[in-house]
Amino acid sequence: MISDGMAEVLRLLQLDVGFDAAAEVAARAAETLGVDGLTVSLATGGDRAELMWCTDQAAGRFEDVQLTLGEGPGPEAARTGAMVLVPDLAQVRPERWPALNGETSGLDVRAVFCFPMGIGAIRVGVLTVVRRTVGPLTDGQVGDAQVLAHALTGRALGSVVAGLDGTVPADSADTLLHAVVHQATGMVSVQLDVPLSQALLRLRAHAYSSGRPLTDISRDVVARRLRLDHNGNDNGNGNPLPVSDKD
Amino acid sequence: MAREQEITKVFVEVADSLIDDFDLIDFLQQLSERCVELLDVAACGVLLADEHDVLQVLAASDEDTRLLELFALQHDQGPCVDCYRSGLPRTSINLEDPNAQQAWPQFAPAARQSGFVSTNAIPMRLRRKVIGALGLFQTSGRPLSDADATLAQALADVATIAILQQRTLAHSETERSQLQYALTSRIVLEQVKGILAERWQVTTDEAFVAFRAYARAHHHQLSHLARLIADGAFDTEQIPRPPQHR
Repeated sequence: MISDGMAEVLRLLQLDVGFDAAAEVAARAAETLGVDGLTVSLATGGDRAELMWCTDQAAGRFEDVQLTLGEGPGPEAARTGAMVLVPDLAQVRPERWPALNGETSGLDVRAVFCFPMGIGAIRVGVLTVVRRTVGPLTDGQVGDAQVLAHALTGRALGSVVAGLDGTVPADSADTLLHAVVHQATGMVSVQLDVPLSQALLRLRAHAYSSGRPLTDISRDVVARRLRLDHNGNDNGNGNPLPVSDKD
Repeated sequence: MAREQEITKVFVEVADSLIDDFDLIDFLQQLSERCVELLDVAACGVLLADEHDVLQVLAASDEDTRLLELFALQHDQGPCVDCYRSGLPRTSINLEDPNAQQAWPQFAPAARQSGFVSTNAIPMRLRRKVIGALGLFQTSGRPLSDADATLAQALADVATIAILQQRTLAHSETERSQLQYALTSRIVLEQVKGILAERWQVTTDEAFVAFRAYARAHHHQLSHLARLIADGAFDTEQIPRPPQHR
């Protein structure tokens, strides 16, 4: 169950055109989650990541340090695909993130909570929220943050298709319940020799342009009734879609 | 094997899981297989709620994609959803009953088409909170006995304990983080089935069988090996290929 506040944030996110114009949405999300700062970093291939949202200087610095060192709750959340909740940074055993402590001790950050953005082995980025005071998030806040991370994942992975005429892809969160969508993603990644994130984009683009549900397209791919070509089309029909080269 | 011995075996496996570094998906899959051996049921699935309160399949007694899809259909309708929402078991539901067909217009006919006659849903509880459900399908119309219902609940509790005590995460903080790790692992496994199926030109089900045989023979955790393969950090040529059909 998400809060009314987060439902409003998600609505604003839908209206918004891109990450750049989202400062207000980010600030609102931080307020709803009851935190002092919020960042969103997106993976840009390999080990690199780019800071896309940042509502607060301390939060931004903390994220920068994590990205530079490649260690901390954020990188751990990205690696495992599971949230990392640190209600009191001072209580973390030093050996857990040996370099982080020294670099962040001067920052006004006492608690950090990181939520992975991704689908299985596809890692899109991390949503991080920080507080200047120690203490856990409530169950409701954790749930809200997870839903926000999920919505941001969908945006990051669907933005290419959305760019065509400004609408979001027709597939919903529910389609990701189907094993067959993930199986098709794996198959297309091998067929086209692209990362899994790209493979999912191609599948979504194809579903979008053909007006069929993603699950149907996926079933056809898994049954080998459909094979996408390098432009994301089946057998060369239709118009090629622009697909980002980013991972 | 006598039923008592079978049950003992399950609890030995559970105890092992507490001691050893174990793989959650593999464990739950074996637990699902045990359910089929111990209870008068033909198929079993472990469903866990995600952050949207939507049930996701973590493991099933048979990795056949059709069975997985049948469990996936229960994300918004079916006895498992009802059980998850109410926290109460739903046993011996006749899938041919017009009421069932009406209540679950997609799920009930799909289950019938797969050859199932009745179904049961057992809640997976963590203290007062329900985190998922165990789904049990039967090919006979016999109602689940009281003894079976009790044992099914015990097995559902074991599944819950297993999910929450996995130490795959180097430093686990919270139960929710454990649940999320389990759900992510499941998706990685499906992506890897697709990768291997395409590399080997076999079906995803055949790819999984070969993958699991290799993982078990070499004492790899399924989820860990799947993550390595998805990241391109494991040479899949090491895994014996299943025979091709094409």
